Amino acid sequence: MVSLNAVLLISFLLFSIGIIGVLIRRNALVILMCVELMLNAANLNFIAFARHSGSASGQAFALLVMGFAAAEVAVGLALVVALYRKRDTVQVDDINLLKG
Amino acid sequence: MEHLLETIGRNMFAIFGVMALGAAALMVAFRSAVHSVLAFLFAMLCIAGCFLALEAEFLGMAQILVYAGGIVVLFLFVVMLVEMSKKKEKEVFQLQSRYAVAAVLIGAAVFVGVFRKVIFGTASPEALVLRPELAEGLNVARQNAQAVSRSLFADYLLPFEILSVILLVALVGAVVLAKTERV
Repeated sequence: MVSLNAVLLISFLLFSIGIIGVLIRRNALVILMCVELMLNAANLNFIAFARHSGSASGQAFALLVMGFAAAEVAVGLALVVALYRKRDTVQVDDINLLKG
Repeated sequence: MEHLLETIGRNMFAIFGVMALGAAALMVAFRSAVHSVLAFLFAMLCIAGCFLALEAEFLGMAQILVYAGGIVVLFLFVVMLVEMSKKKEKEVFQLQSRYAVAAVLIGAAVFVGVFRKVIFGTASPEALVLRPELAEGLNVARQNAQAVSRSLFADYLLPFEILSVILLVALVGAVVLAKTERV
């Protein structure tokens, strides 16, 4: 039997690692991966609460989040490829088109 | 031995959770994007293990199929396209071909070890009989899949349909964004 608190702790730590990765890494691909990690931490929470409340709604929503994550990766990677074609780099520090 | 296995079985969630945390930390820490992708793959597999430990069997399998099977491969494609076009990385790759040969040999040895009975076994294997505890597990997994699908298609049909439209938009958007500009 897994306690709810243990799942919430693991999920919180995973989400924090994802946020840290988004903030400190400069590679756009790694940033996308960290966003995926955060979505997975949210999924873990959904499943933990579904198990806690004894209903399958949380699991159904986790499945929807998974599909959403797939769509996000497709668009994100297409953006990265388009950026690489235009600017020849994927380091987000070198991509400052909006800066006046 | 029996006792140890029992302890591991009881703490499956903690083991997979800690391994997922370690893999996620490595993913952030690795310098090379390829190593990051591999750590990401390991983290996703560990999270699938967490799902299984939390009795969400269908989602655990979906996690492996969607992430390990689809998203990681997509990431690897783009990393190879973007990072490997530099010359330095190519040299690193050629230097490591020795290790690649060793890895293939080890993989082949493991394969033969696992499928020894099938490859070198007798011509007539005994009939496949499912042990009762395994049958019980399969039944639990089927009940989980039924519960999830009932919830998804009865209570959350509208979000499901919206998600399908989002996927279509993402498909079209990815094609538009990634196509070359020779129109």
